[in-house]
Amino acid sequence: MGAIQGFEIRRSSASLRGSATQLRTLPVVAKYIDTSTCIGCKACEVACQEWNDLPVSQTEQVGTYQTMPSLQASYWNLIQFREVDYQGGVAWLMRKDQCMHCADPGCLAACPAPGAIVQYQNGIVDVDPEKCIGCGLCEPGCPFDVPRYSERTNKMAKCTLCVDRVEVGLEPACVKACPTGCLQFGDKDTLLAYGKHRVTALKEGGFAEAAVYDPPGVGGTSVITVLRHGDHPEWYGLPKDPTVPVAVSLWKRILHPLGFIAMGAALFGTLGHFMTVGPKKPKDTSTTSGGEV
Amino acid sequence: MSDASVPASAHPAAPGPSIMRLAVHREDVAVGDEIVRHRLLSRVIHWVVALFFMVALLTGMPIYSPVFGWMATLFGGLSVCRWLHAWSGIAFSVASAVMVLHWLSDMKLVPHDLKFNLVQYMQFSAAEDPEIGKYNPGQKLFFWTIPLVTLMVLLSGIPLWWPTKFGSTLRQVCIIVHDVGFIMWFVAIVGHVYLGTAAEPGTFRSMTRGTVTKAWARLHHPKWFRDVTGDRKE
Repeated sequence: MGAIQGFEIRRSSASLRGSATQLRTLPVVAKYIDTSTCIGCKACEVACQEWNDLPVSQTEQVGTYQTMPSLQASYWNLIQFREVDYQGGVAWLMRKDQCMHCADPGCLAACPAPGAIVQYQNGIVDVDPEKCIGCGLCEPGCPFDVPRYSERTNKMAKCTLCVDRVEVGLEPACVKACPTGCLQFGDKDTLLAYGKHRVTALKEGGFAEAAVYDPPGVGGTSVITVLRHGDHPEWYGLPKDPTVPVAVSLWKRILHPLGFIAMGAALFGTLGHFMTVGPKKPKDTSTTSGGEV
Repeated sequence: MSDASVPASAHPAAPGPSIMRLAVHREDVAVGDEIVRHRLLSRVIHWVVALFFMVALLTGMPIYSPVFGWMATLFGGLSVCRWLHAWSGIAFSVASAVMVLHWLSDMKLVPHDLKFNLVQYMQFSAAEDPEIGKYNPGQKLFFWTIPLVTLMVLLSGIPLWWPTKFGSTLRQVCIIVHDVGFIMWFVAIVGHVYLGTAAEPGTFRSMTRGTVTKAWARLHHPKWFRDVTGDRKE
């Protein structure tokens, strides 16, 4: 599957701009995850594998109900199970892990292949395998450790937020399969308001630190997560204040311009040297024609 | 360093072909108006290194920035560059290791080299230091930069080549190191090519034909000229 034709592209990797004309505006979409009502049934994992036609992956016992240690190139949706000491007891936490669809995607910034990673106008971050060169540079660009390089296909793969379903007006497969309603899909603003409502209820229920996880360091995400323990996202395996990695910003915003200046200085410097100082020739030469100094 | 000078009179009839044949195996030998500067092996090593360097450079630059994306078409696209860059980088590293060993003895720094002033040298105005041997300290500096930057770029390139085998933080560091190494290479190679061609006419032939003129040698490498020709006048 290449880039979805129906959506305009807001941003494209290794390109100055996408195809967005700004003539029409699409609302930013989001997937809403309420970890407080997730029961860890993993129906979303199965639905994801089914819809995206991904091959069966070997499960791995990690000491919890978790299917495998982390996401794979052919496993884009994983419920992470964690146990944390909390108020003399145990908080049993489940979180659906997948691509967060950052508004400011580090993977897209790090990608050197034009158009291999695109961000549609509705906020979905997608990979175009046809343009992916399998360099894996997106992976150190991601603050959530999501992109996976597949040695079998030599391509990067991750959750597409079921953009092929969204394009035709369907919700993502994981959302469709969720039996508790802890997964929702729709307009991001509406879901943020819904999340706020839910956070208020959680606070009333005794979770004073409940919050919606929509990290501003990456411009917000199109996967928003309601956390009972909003002050400790790391309990859920989420970084506290994720940003595009410093190395990627340093590389693209500082090193690149400096590199171009250095390259230009080298080229124009030699040209300038040749025009002002000129060649160094033997004085008493009989083999060269010029005859000057 | 210097072999015995072969008197021009030994080959009075056809100095051209004979010096070419001489230049296959021997260097630092004067014949007629010419001196063999690089024997065939040296020249072949140089051009093998140069070939792998150019392939690594032209396949790496389109990955560095889409501004150089057109270079990828020379090799059949960015996906080809992604593996060809790694392999040509390995080939370059091996070839430059051979090159470093080959030139090692000629490139040993001597105390006198410390007197070299690159900025003053590039003004091309002052007379050459009469104690400059076969390679001037600037050339030696460039030479010793090669193993340093090659190691830097090679070691940082390996984790970038194998995405699944190395951690994210290491690869982030490698991206930075690899890019800094590339920029150093680019600047160094522009200077190297410039000095070897337009800036100092008569130099390029030392890497093709293998010889330079005596006038060239006297101007750029006075001590080497004296050692090779036995000429003590200048």
